[in-house]
Amino acid sequence: MPVKFDYLLRETTSNLGRNVTITLASIITVAVSLALVGASLMLRSGVENATQRWQGGIEFVVFLRIDATQQQIDSLNNDLEQSPEVSKIVYVNQEQAYKEFQTLFADSPELIDSVTAKDLPPSFRVEPVNKEVEAVESLGVTYEGRSGVDQVVFASKTIRLIQQLSSRLTVGIFVIAAFLLGAAGLLILNTIRMAMFARRREIEVMKLVGATNWFIRVPFMLEGLVQGLVGAFLAIAGLAAFKPFFQKWLPSAQDIPLVGGFQVSAGEMTVIFMTLGVVGVAIGAIGAGIAVSRFLDV
Amino acid sequence: MITLENVTKTYKNSTVALRDANVEIAKGEFVFLVGASGSGKSTFIRLLNKEETPEKGHIYVAGKDIGQLSGWKIPYLRRNIGCVFQDFKLLPTKTVFENVAFALEVIGRPRSVIDSQVPAILDLVGLGHKSDSFPTELSGGEQQRVSVARAFVNRPLILLADEPTGNLDPATSVGIMKLLDRINKTGTTVVMATHDRGIVDTMRRRVIEIDRGAIVRDQARGVYE
Repeated sequence: MPVKFDYLLRETTSNLGRNVTITLASIITVAVSLALVGASLMLRSGVENATQRWQGGIEFVVFLRIDATQQQIDSLNNDLEQSPEVSKIVYVNQEQAYKEFQTLFADSPELIDSVTAKDLPPSFRVEPVNKEVEAVESLGVTYEGRSGVDQVVFASKTIRLIQQLSSRLTVGIFVIAAFLLGAAGLLILNTIRMAMFARRREIEVMKLVGATNWFIRVPFMLEGLVQGLVGAFLAIAGLAAFKPFFQKWLPSAQDIPLVGGFQVSAGEMTVIFMTLGVVGVAIGAIGAGIAVSRFLDV
Repeated sequence: MITLENVTKTYKNSTVALRDANVEIAKGEFVFLVGASGSGKSTFIRLLNKEETPEKGHIYVAGKDIGQLSGWKIPYLRRNIGCVFQDFKLLPTKTVFENVAFALEVIGRPRSVIDSQVPAILDLVGLGHKSDSFPTELSGGEQQRVSVARAFVNRPLILLADEPTGNLDPATSVGIMKLLDRINKTGTTVVMATHDRGIVDTMRRRVIEIDRGAIVRDQARGVYE
């Protein structure tokens, strides 16, 4: 059955206007909880980007000289693969290094412009079998003096600490956000229940004259969706405004050696924002859906 | 038009509202349901509208077994049935015109139909000049006329009335009954539950008497008792 657009618009807006205070309460709760989710997602991507080369058990990186010959590279590759103490190696050529550089310094286009793939050293990322600090270091230094090798860089305790801290922080924030989102869902449910109570006479007449169930339900469903969506929008706007401060507040590449900057690329922000939008809509739909199916006896 | 076959309806608190009822109402009939309060008249009406589901037996409305009707089809059944109540059930925030138009609007009728049908039906019930008034500005009789207009604006096959004159004085009641009679003459089947002895005895239509859930009398051109 075609539900008329102007009817839906009128009903939904009048429902939202009827309970301004509680509607605002649900929207703000959705916004705050989604902003928390978004901030922790941003933190996680920032840390992931910053410590990209140290993920998946990589304990040290052998940087080659820019002028290292193919022969030197092959011989080192061979040695690393043969070594019983090495469990995995990843070779990063200049092109790949340049791509990583681009994401790490996404916010400084002038820096990206001034650097080409030729300026960046290729490297081997090494995961040793034994991950004790001493064992890693004594293995790493054996490659330091080799021809073609520029330097060997070890994952420091700081990096491990940052990774651990960020993952725990993310989990913590997610737990809080989950509770807040639950509260937001319940608030939306109650707002809609109140809207239905305020309009019980109209609903009764609608049922009596043969309005379809969906015709009666849809304005209330939309009301929940709008609340979720507006909350998500506020969260997104807040995070977008907050992002420059977030970048400034986190240590930059210069402050922590061996780590890239805590950058969150535009692409990652888009994904985060879309996630928030989807979650907001889902919370609204779930709250409204429960209210409509539980309390609208059609 | 309406057939009840061995219909029994028991409420959760094990009150028997209707017991083994068998009734056949033809198209265009005018039927009074009489009986004491709590005898089952309202249940009878609510069963026809599928506000209640029978526990046993079959109910056919316009040839369809409505006991088997799935939930999403109920609205389409109700579009063939107009309802009038003792308490009018008008929306206080809407004008007379809007109250009647609402019934067409929510079943998706286009504006053009609403704009032609609503004034016509308001003229029929004699309230053409009050279409911009609010229900609270009307007398009880006028409010009931609006409610009849709303029930009939969609030209239903059946009009159910549950004590439509219960809140009205005798003179006003006569006006409402004339209106229902007129609607009945257009071929609409009217089923009306009532306590109003005067109306039943004057109009001399078919009378079905219900006593503690049982149909104890079914009389053509009957009287109240």
